Amino acid sequence: MIMPRSDAQLLLPARPLFIIASLLVAFALNLLPFGRQPAMPDWLAVVIVFWGVHQPRRVGIGWGFLFGLLMDVHQAALLGQHALAYALLGFVAISMHRRLLWFGLAGQAAQILPLFVAAHVLQLVVRLVAGDAFPGWSFLLAPLFEAALWPLATLVLLAPQRRAPDPDENRPL
Amino acid sequence: MPLGTLERTPPPFFRQGPSAATRLAFFAALAVFLMVADARFTVAVPLRQALAAVLTPLQSLAALPAQWLFAGAGYFEGLAAAQRAEHEAREALVRQSQGAQRAVQLDRDNATLRALLDLGPALPVRSLAAEVMYEAADPFTHKWILDRGSRHGVLLGAPVVDAAGVLGQVTRVYAQTSEVTLLADRDAAIPVLNTRTSQRAAAFGGAGGGLMELRFTSANADVRVGDALVTGGLDGVYPAGLPVATVHTVERRAESGFALVTLQTAASPDGVRFVLVLEPMHVQRPELPASAVQEGRDAPDTRERRDAAINRPRSGGR
Repeated sequence: MIMPRSDAQLLLPARPLFIIASLLVAFALNLLPFGRQPAMPDWLAVVIVFWGVHQPRRVGIGWGFLFGLLMDVHQAALLGQHALAYALLGFVAISMHRRLLWFGLAGQAAQILPLFVAAHVLQLVVRLVAGDAFPGWSFLLAPLFEAALWPLATLVLLAPQRRAPDPDENRPL
Repeated sequence: MPLGTLERTPPPFFRQGPSAATRLAFFAALAVFLMVADARFTVAVPLRQALAAVLTPLQSLAALPAQWLFAGAGYFEGLAAAQRAEHEAREALVRQSQGAQRAVQLDRDNATLRALLDLGPALPVRSLAAEVMYEAADPFTHKWILDRGSRHGVLLGAPVVDAAGVLGQVTRVYAQTSEVTLLADRDAAIPVLNTRTSQRAAAFGGAGGGLMELRFTSANADVRVGDALVTGGLDGVYPAGLPVATVHTVERRAESGFALVTLQTAASPDGVRFVLVLEPMHVQRPELPASAVQEGRDAPDTRERRDAAINRPRSGGR
């Protein structure tokens, strides 16, 4: 937190409880029964990458693996498929976290996009090797939506850290 | 600026744990191991069961908004639509009750004839009603999750039907829930009987667009568009006579010895909320008489061979 960020605002420390709650909310969003939509964005992947970039010492590969296993059981997918993808997302997020935050939100989303594409292609390759059917090209829309969610995730998940350090009556938050 | 505003603890110099690459390698290896164990062996089944037990309350919680939506839509649907639905239901009931009365009479006749011919009674079909919790979001397969599991008596390999015909087969059973692989799935296969020609064949899923495929049909086979296919009753899983599919297209190619036959499943998987889980027929297979058991001792693999002939899903399979 010593380096000035691009938005040049010093942030409050992140609360571990908020991080866990945000992961759980993203997981619950993934649990919503929307049916079989290959283009459905993976909320949990976005949040895992977000915290991997912003809090690399707290959230990363292990959490990604754990939530990935739960996603696999929920989706009736191959056990370990999401776990592998999320672990990879966590790793790349950690390794790019120093560079990424120097860019604006659009630049960040543009740099995150290949990462999400890689995660989805990795799952595709794993399933094709395991002998499953190709789901159709619309699955490539999912990483686009995920990258588009990145500014929104930044807005929502950084909001508690952007509060005033000294709240008073005129500025309660 | 008050204290506690900034993160004051610097990252530790020495006790940082294993590096990110090491952790990635460890977890990736674990994931690959799990995938192989899940796809090829049954080692991962207990882990899946445990995770499913953790997940089930969350899933039912996540299913709540959809249920509210259904209930709300029903509330605002309006009187006319409700009356129309009731009218249609009554008509269907009249049609079905006529069929049911006829079935009772036929049953009685059948029992008398079977007694005359000294045949055993036909096996009854036991069933269990279940609600579809959600369609699995996995884009690579076609699966549903039902809200009934081993605790309610769902068995692995049980056929799942709705009013229109066969939907699929139970391929994984958890304590409270179970997974159904639909007929459109690539791994689905079902033995069928053509009602027009009485030919038996095997239908496979994964033909694309929710269609099935009648494989290994010779190019000059007597198959026509519109033929109704039902379950044959020889497989030890499905009761005889359930509608499976109708022939959608028949393509006879000169260069190949086989015809390309695609099937439209009888039961449409869209908008189904309640299904019946039937008991696989081999569960209530009658015991062999003592003399057959004596003979079976000389050829101990008879029973195994017959078991292998039964169309069972791969245990814990995908």
